[in-house]
Amino acid sequence: MEIYLPVAEMSVNWLIIIALGTGVGFLSGLFGVGGGFLMTPLLVFTGIPSTVAVATTLSHVTASSMSGALAQWRKRAIDFSLAGVMLVGGVAGTLFGVWLFALMRRQGQMDLIVSLTYVIMLGSIGFIMLRESLATLKAYRSGATVSHHVVSRGWILGLPFKMRFRQSRLYISVIPPIGIGFVVGTLSAIMGIGGGFIIVPAMIYLLRMPTRMVMGTSLVQIIAVTSITTVLQATHNFAVDIVLAGLLVSGGVVGAQLGVRAGAKLRGEQLRFLLALLVLTVGAGLAWQLVARPADIYSLAETAP
Amino acid sequence: MMLRAPLLAFLLLAMPGGAARAEDLVSGVSQDTIQITSNYTGTDIVVFGAIERPQNIQGRNIVVVVRGPDEAMTVRRRSRIAGVWVNSDAARFEGLPAYYYLASTEPVARIAPPDALARYGIGLQALKPSATGSHHDPEPFRQAVIRHLRQTGLYVESPGSIDFLSETLFRTKVPVPAGVTRGQYNVEVYLFRDGEVVSAQSTPFFVDATGLERRLFNMAHNAPLAYGLACVAMAMMLGWISAVLFRRPD
Repeated sequence: MEIYLPVAEMSVNWLIIIALGTGVGFLSGLFGVGGGFLMTPLLVFTGIPSTVAVATTLSHVTASSMSGALAQWRKRAIDFSLAGVMLVGGVAGTLFGVWLFALMRRQGQMDLIVSLTYVIMLGSIGFIMLRESLATLKAYRSGATVSHHVVSRGWILGLPFKMRFRQSRLYISVIPPIGIGFVVGTLSAIMGIGGGFIIVPAMIYLLRMPTRMVMGTSLVQIIAVTSITTVLQATHNFAVDIVLAGLLVSGGVVGAQLGVRAGAKLRGEQLRFLLALLVLTVGAGLAWQLVARPADIYSLAETAP
Repeated sequence: MMLRAPLLAFLLLAMPGGAARAEDLVSGVSQDTIQITSNYTGTDIVVFGAIERPQNIQGRNIVVVVRGPDEAMTVRRRSRIAGVWVNSDAARFEGLPAYYYLASTEPVARIAPPDALARYGIGLQALKPSATGSHHDPEPFRQAVIRHLRQTGLYVESPGSIDFLSETLFRTKVPVPAGVTRGQYNVEVYLFRDGEVVSAQSTPFFVDATGLERRLFNMAHNAPLAYGLACVAMAMMLGWISAVLFRRPD
């Protein structure tokens, strides 16, 4: 059951890795997120060096997203023009993130900044989603019609360079999607994630895209950003393990398909409620690691190649 | 560290010729290469040897040291700042082996005085790497490296693990765990008589990946762009195939 990973230079139980891939893939199919924010900590927990975990998780995210995106594409739930506009910002953000990554590494506080970013991002997004989905669920139960007020979008409506996105039934400036793409690209390079848990809420709450279109469109964006980051990680850090990637991907694509099916049975606000709980759980776990006394205050850092 | 190799060479040259009557040692290793394949989970090598012109068994000891390639290692220490554990100090060590295994007939402290052990680099406490770091005292950092590598099974001291098949013939089993680094490993066998090394022999063996593992590793380092693109292509293909396979008849 053991298989040797040529780049990580260690043996792992391939059944555990495939199971991890399937489980995280299921969640990514269910919620339309890549699952990198779950996979990276889980891989590190199984003893895989964190640089390899961060770089290789991206392949898993690419594949799960690919599988999920094709399923969404058949449902015509992808807005390619919006995804393309976001990608302009995404590519710029990825390059900026890789530069920032190198800078922070030289300062020696990479781990802390990554953890803090995770806690802040997951905590705030999880909280907002939880509150919103609970309010919607409550209203639904009491039989009241839920009205989606266009609040706090006044400044977005006022921005120039407006473009019509037919499939999403939106007529908005290109600046917010490019901005979201940039932020997500940057975070992707720093945190080793696709960034779905940021894109999805940003599209729902900032751009007011229909939830139906959000999943597929965010997946297209994630595929592009993780592909670019994988290549950059391979050329800059030699940290991508293709055997590990193959195992994760094999489990991930099956899980993603099952997740998409399960997701079709749930309503949007129920999905958002469950995703909020998941995001908050991971965030709380990471926050606990920051404040709890470590088992050993000394740690052996991997030496850069 | 630097002194060790010439010292060994000196011993090897000087001992047999110098005193014809002295005890001597011949030793060997069961394998000169270990191939890491896809199902590699660690293996054992057997180090064996014989004592020539044996003298009194009292006061005689055998020490076997297996040392992996040297690696630079960085240790960080965390401290609590505003309630959060932050990496505050670091030390970088040069010249620590990636793997260290010691087998001996007795605990090494009972075999020879500390200065003799330090001279030959015998025992984990005799590993004295050169340190650079942000902290004035590298010792706790050095202890932390040793502690961590002992936990992962890469640093092992195993006294009393040498089997004597006869009065002069001995062997010991050296585990080579799955986490080992590729490169040259040296097996050093020392014959101690009353706390002094009277004979020593060094035999190398190599740990290397073969077949697909080796090609993948080489590609990742020599053609990283193609390797990265291959990873992306594989991920996309598998994602696409699964989407086709799982397509619902709708």
